[in-house]
Amino acid sequence: MNAPPSSSKPPRKRLSPSPENPETGRRDPSYLSPHQRALRTAMIDAFNAKKARRFLERNVKHISVNRDLADGIKFLFDEHGRPPANAPLEDVIEERRLIEYQIVWFEGILLELRNRLIRVKEVEDYALEMLSRASPDE
Amino acid sequence: MAAPLFLLAPPRSYTSLVNAMLGQHPQAFGLPELCLFNVDTLVDLWRGSNTEISENGALVRHGLLRAVAEIYCGEQRTTTVNMALAWASVREQWDTGRVFQEIVAKLHPLVAVEKSPSYTMSVKRMQAMRRAFPDARFVHLVRHPVAQCKSLMAINDGAFALKVEAFELGEDYALLEPQIAWHDINLNILDFLDEVPADQQLRLRGEDVMAEPQRYLREIARWADLRDDDEAVDAMMHPERSPFACFGPINALFGNDPNFLSGPTFRPHKPKLPPLTAPVPWRTDGGGLYPEVVALAKEFGYS
Repeated sequence: MNAPPSSSKPPRKRLSPSPENPETGRRDPSYLSPHQRALRTAMIDAFNAKKARRFLERNVKHISVNRDLADGIKFLFDEHGRPPANAPLEDVIEERRLIEYQIVWFEGILLELRNRLIRVKEVEDYALEMLSRASPDE
Repeated sequence: MAAPLFLLAPPRSYTSLVNAMLGQHPQAFGLPELCLFNVDTLVDLWRGSNTEISENGALVRHGLLRAVAEIYCGEQRTTTVNMALAWASVREQWDTGRVFQEIVAKLHPLVAVEKSPSYTMSVKRMQAMRRAFPDARFVHLVRHPVAQCKSLMAINDGAFALKVEAFELGEDYALLEPQIAWHDINLNILDFLDEVPADQQLRLRGEDVMAEPQRYLREIARWADLRDDDEAVDAMMHPERSPFACFGPINALFGNDPNFLSGPTFRPHKPKLPPLTAPVPWRTDGGGLYPEVVALAKEFGYS
């Protein structure tokens, strides 16, 4: 375990092709030539395409349809859709409230699913665009 | 106030583990990655700046929020992280050096130990550390280039190498090359340490600490003027006891390498050192290490 001696040395040469930005001290690709920038962009596009492909492979799942959505809904009506002749008013009101509550619940789910669909479509569109821009041998 | 101790290294160089181990010394306090010196003013950690984009979005702030929650409230919960946000809000126009100084003063007399690999992306960031803490100590932690690069490429396919412009440029191709990141970042550290007095810096091979932790942790403690008795060394063998060696609350989950957060317990082991002359595993063309990388690795004691 050694403490290296401090001495003035000639500037050490970096290997990154992107020159240093004197303001930030970080490598800055905007200083590359147009041809170099194009090669760099192609490399980044290929990198992103590979990343999107892996993400899709991990996340595409089988979608199943829930056929039992309406099972929990209880109706006071008979098989012909008629309410009982002597149905008390309290029960009718209670049923009306229950149905309104369930409609609100379903509307909330529908809104959430629509939001999710928008986001998933954005990911899908971006991934397809990246794939179409990737070179054939990637 | 007690001058802090900073670990300087590229990512994937055992920094999380060594930082947490040193931070468990009875006279020290290990911080998560604060990333404060990435920007000049605290608010820029939220909004970025003209010269620096806000790196990693919200993740870059998790370490600071967890640290403030733990130090000022004694625990990390959603409520205390919200308090930390208010703390930061009051200081949003402060120079980040001043913010760090306040945290270090609050921890006094414990020695603050911190590492943020993003500091090493620019000599200017490291110089900002020294302006805030002229008496700070720096441990340059090195790792074998092949092992470090392999580990780097395993995380998000080497996204970090893209961040530091580590790519090989040919006439008609550009290829991501992590050894360029290993080389250039270590040169950044060496350039910075040229300005630091010899007694305030120390270079260590991460593999040596992994293989003989008690020996090297004791020597670091002695160098840093901390206790080096068996009790202190034994405390450092338990990084999992750090309050930051786990995921944080939902509004500040990270602040460190997620692999470390999910498994912080240390087990001594002797890492394998691959030859410097063999083909490297991340290249499909059979290419090996560049001569400059081999030369630097030899300078660090690898052969």
